[in-house]
Amino acid sequence: MRHFIKAEFKRQLNSLILWTAIICGLSILMLSMYPAFKDSFSELEAMLDAFPPSMLEVFGLGDGGLDMSTPYGWYGMEGYLFVVLIGGSYASILGSTILSREEDDQTIEFLLSKPISRNQILMGKSIVVMTNLFMLNIVLFLTLLVAFLLIGEFIFMTTLLLVVGPLLLQLVFASISMAISVFVTKSRQVMSISLGLVIGLFFLDIISELTDNFAFLKYLTPYEYVNAVSIVNHQTIEFVYLLISILMIFISGLVTWFFYNRKDFTF
Amino acid sequence: MIETKELTKYYGKNARGIIDVNLDIREGEIFGFIGPNGAGKSTTVRTLLNLIFPSSGQGKILDYDIVKDTVEIKKNVGYVPSEVHYYNDMVVEDFLKYSTDFYTSDYLEKMHELAKKLELDLSRKVGDLSFGNKKKVAIVLALVFQPKILIFDEPTSGLDPLIQSVFFDLLEKEKQRGATIFFSSHVLSDVQKICDRVGIIKEGKLIKVENIEDIMKTKAKNVRIQSSDFNLSEDEHVVNLKKIKNSYHFTYKGNIQDLLNKIRTYQLEDISITEPSLEEIFMHYYNKEDKS
Repeated sequence: MRHFIKAEFKRQLNSLILWTAIICGLSILMLSMYPAFKDSFSELEAMLDAFPPSMLEVFGLGDGGLDMSTPYGWYGMEGYLFVVLIGGSYASILGSTILSREEDDQTIEFLLSKPISRNQILMGKSIVVMTNLFMLNIVLFLTLLVAFLLIGEFIFMTTLLLVVGPLLLQLVFASISMAISVFVTKSRQVMSISLGLVIGLFFLDIISELTDNFAFLKYLTPYEYVNAVSIVNHQTIEFVYLLISILMIFISGLVTWFFYNRKDFTF
Repeated sequence: MIETKELTKYYGKNARGIIDVNLDIREGEIFGFIGPNGAGKSTTVRTLLNLIFPSSGQGKILDYDIVKDTVEIKKNVGYVPSEVHYYNDMVVEDFLKYSTDFYTSDYLEKMHELAKKLELDLSRKVGDLSFGNKKKVAIVLALVFQPKILIFDEPTSGLDPLIQSVFFDLLEKEKQRGATIFFSSHVLSDVQKICDRVGIIKEGKLIKVENIEDIMKTKAKNVRIQSSDFNLSEDEHVVNLKKIKNSYHFTYKGNIQDLLNKIRTYQLEDISITEPSLEEIFMHYYNKEDKS
């Protein structure tokens, strides 16, 4: 079992390095723009006044929203969005392919001819997904730590939540994608569906903030659960959202476990 | 060692599975499982290995249930699939090590020995190997940990004649060691060469299980006669009568003494009476089933 996890981890290592580099690189890029932007903040503020309030709400800049003149407000506005979207995409690709690739490449026939149960395969692969997402976010945390220290304003709890939030979101997307991949076994198809979900739910999040009529939608989109405004301004991820996320991961896991253990592998 | 009771796999209306397959493969024997493509050979093998679940019926390998105890079974089963799909980006040696790590003992020495016998280059990437070379990897994997049971699904396809003969030598040694071998194939000459018993599967149903010697000892004989006044076309025991150039070819299914008595009355120029090959017997069973 240990050697299986090790081999699986090695197989995923290159993409982990690549995605971590992209996400951390973008965060650094965004934060490096902050000092230059800080000086011209008053001009930007005047410009923002011209926008309709609902538009500002979408970007978390409405009343009670992010204060872009602070480093965390700036990051919440500019960098966090990328982390959430790109990190979500990585998680969903990872979740989509980790099981389905074995079927796509028909290597599952090899794997299941060895003394390893389907549950052990699921367990091993889930451990690799979790390890990869944790590692991505640990590196991101260290990157943010250094960057905020350099800027001269570091708040531990906010920084931690700015990483825990995306991690939670990624775990939700990865587990949903894994569950989908039990039913749709062509890697490419699963990936399209899962990435569609990542983007679709993001737009759902935007719609839920645009008008109050659709406010109920916010419970359906995991982006709302890890909203930058509540992390930066209130240093919290709301309990109800945390609960829904954990429930989503749990249900996806249950579906994956139930159907993977009853699945016919035909080629 | 391998036992199935009314093992059935139903894939739905449009695809054929297997229906009520009853197998009883004894310890130490080589059991040939023959039938054309699509007859249900691979479905049977995949059900035994729990890649697919039976719709009804049950199976046991070494007294372990094929569904519930599949992990226990796999500790004792070496498998060569008909089409080999491994991790293309791995180097053969690393892949073989990875595979043997699933078992508790160390098989490095045996692995190198087998690879050498089969002339397998361990330093190449799996993805760069030809079909035949991938098959060699599969054979090494199946034999390396000396399992009690070997399941082969078209093992010789892709292997050149020299390697095939090495492979049959290896099988002979496995049999001497006491391994039980399930040999699924549509290459009947292979089956004829090494199997003790043979099961014939047709359209998902096991239609015949017999000792290979008995099946070869069928009363039917292949007869070739060259004669100017030959006339047996009305005889009820004569089947598949064909005239090729000056000679008559047919299968005689009656008493051989009667045949000789009848032939004696003709002006013979040449005659040969031979055992039918497994291919012909196989076709015979297939055609008989069609008629019934």
